[in-house]
Amino acid sequence: MALVLRTTSQIIGHHAELEKKSAEGYGALAERHPEHQDAFNRLGDENHRHRARVERAYRLGVTDAFEVGFTPNPLDPGDYALEEFTGESLSEDLDTALRNEETVIRFCLDAAKTSGKLLPDLPDTFDQLVRRKRKRVELLRSLT
Amino acid sequence: MDSGSAKELKVVDVMVVLEEPIKGVIELKNYIDGEWVESEASETRDVVNPATLKKIAKVPVGHREDVKAAVDAAKDAFPRWRRTTPLSRARYLMTLKQLLEENFEELGRVVTMEHGKIIDEARGEVRRGIENVEMATGIPSLMMGYNAEDISRGIDEVLIKQPLGVFACVAPFNFPFMVSLWFMPYAVATGNTYIIKPSPWTPLSTMKLTELIDEAGFPPGVINLVNGEVEPVSEILENPGVKGVSFVGSTKIGRDVIYRNATSHGKRVQAQCGAKNFLVVTPDADVELTVSSLMSSFFGNTGQRCLAGANLVFVGDDQGFMEKTLGVIKERAGAIKMGYGLEEGVQMGPLQAEHRKKRVLGYIESGLKEGATLTMDGREFNCDPYPETCFLAPSIFEGVNLDMTIAREEIFGPVMSVLTAEDLDEAIGMVNSSSYGNAASIFTTKGGTARRFQYDVECGNIGVNIGTAAPMAFFPFSGMKDSFFGDLHGQGKDAVDFFTENKVVIQRWP
Repeated sequence: MALVLRTTSQIIGHHAELEKKSAEGYGALAERHPEHQDAFNRLGDENHRHRARVERAYRLGVTDAFEVGFTPNPLDPGDYALEEFTGESLSEDLDTALRNEETVIRFCLDAAKTSGKLLPDLPDTFDQLVRRKRKRVELLRSLT
Repeated sequence: MDSGSAKELKVVDVMVVLEEPIKGVIELKNYIDGEWVESEASETRDVVNPATLKKIAKVPVGHREDVKAAVDAAKDAFPRWRRTTPLSRARYLMTLKQLLEENFEELGRVVTMEHGKIIDEARGEVRRGIENVEMATGIPSLMMGYNAEDISRGIDEVLIKQPLGVFACVAPFNFPFMVSLWFMPYAVATGNTYIIKPSPWTPLSTMKLTELIDEAGFPPGVINLVNGEVEPVSEILENPGVKGVSFVGSTKIGRDVIYRNATSHGKRVQAQCGAKNFLVVTPDADVELTVSSLMSSFFGNTGQRCLAGANLVFVGDDQGFMEKTLGVIKERAGAIKMGYGLEEGVQMGPLQAEHRKKRVLGYIESGLKEGATLTMDGREFNCDPYPETCFLAPSIFEGVNLDMTIAREEIFGPVMSVLTAEDLDEAIGMVNSSSYGNAASIFTTKGGTARRFQYDVECGNIGVNIGTAAPMAFFPFSGMKDSFFGDLHGQGKDAVDFFTENKVVIQRWP
């Protein structure tokens, strides 16, 4: 069975999963590259805050009167898979981290578009996250 | 979503069901005078999860003596509670609100388990309930009266709003957590004491709510819970200690039992009843927005809500527009995933009980016999791996006219009846021909059309490009004709007025 994200709850859940995985990745990078430990730990902490931010927006805005269960454009979680950090150098790991950030940004953009029909406050929250994540991309680039 | 649930939210190619908060079979008790006590009735009814058919609780059928004890406790608590300052009463509600937030996820899952609705809808219900608690915390302002100085030389006149005593609500099965919160927070915020009688089909969310009420530290007797069926309701309606009753349910019970009996015993009543809601679509409507709203309105909560869409009316002779819109609706309705609401990808749960499904099936038979065309047959579905007993997929009837039973009576299930009207006048006439007046919506991009609709339609809740016109906590949940009996509605300022008496003081000081 091909599984797609049809409901708001699924979209929020998958976002949480992506942020968690991303944070775990930065935890691993902090150990492998102690010279940038602070930066990677900060990025990991941010992941948890981003997850909490979306969950809060959902919890405070959810209402059965809107179309929480009926997204017309389901998302495929397979389109947003994060890569493992298998690089042999800082430069390779940073490339992976950048690709993962772009994947999460793409998910947030798609979720914002889809959730516009689902729940009024969610698109704004996802859009705000995208702005913050683009700053993370700049930070990662500065580490190379 | 609690932080500990992250691993449960992983989406992979397997069925993922959120953890059930109810384990085993709970034996329900009443909560009277701050204590959990057994009912005087020995007979019980099983509470069953309609998706899995697992028994999750046993609820007593209830006894008049249960209500008498609750009324006595509430009467005893009233003098002290009304003297508690409005600000202090609001602080109890603030504590309750905080506890509800902390238990948000569990409450949502309990709603899904006992009712069957999907987890998003259940969380939405919990949120709407909490909003009423939030609204009632504003009682120090909401309860203010007004005054006029020098109505005659040296004489002033003041209006004071005062509580009356003990109030009660008889709540329905379809929003087991939310509905008692349309009333109770306002009642206790204004200084009254209260008795909640939940539906015996879905009593668990109210039990969880009452556990949090207890934890919030409300004084004994201020809020009481009595489970049961007919006998407790009869006692609520007849007991002279109960000053007013709030009810949500069918028109037959609301009008013929609740309203008549309670008013004949001198009580205040607000009875929010059945519905047959028309959703009118004009050819200029935005198809994408309209279809998304229609899906939720007709099939959300498996059609079991008094604001659900029932009759879909296409205005004008643009056959192409109608066919295109219906085509998209059918495509989406056909793709709805049915199953257990705690499975996150599920979009529609079961009906709440087998007899409710049989009732809907009866209406589908009736539609066929009376000549409507069943273009989507919800009797054919797949809800694997769950038992089919309470499930029913969306059904769509076309070629429906107002003489047909399916166009006039409340079905309370996922059934859409499609009608056509030559013009807006005819569509408004159709809406107004209904004995009900709960809700109606129009989908249009023309302001003049929308204004005309909202002006002329005889319904209490109007949606403009909104499929489910559910009023927020700070507005009354309105309703007209056979959809409401009483004067003041639930929620908002109406609720404050319902639970208070206006006392006028004219004073002169020598």
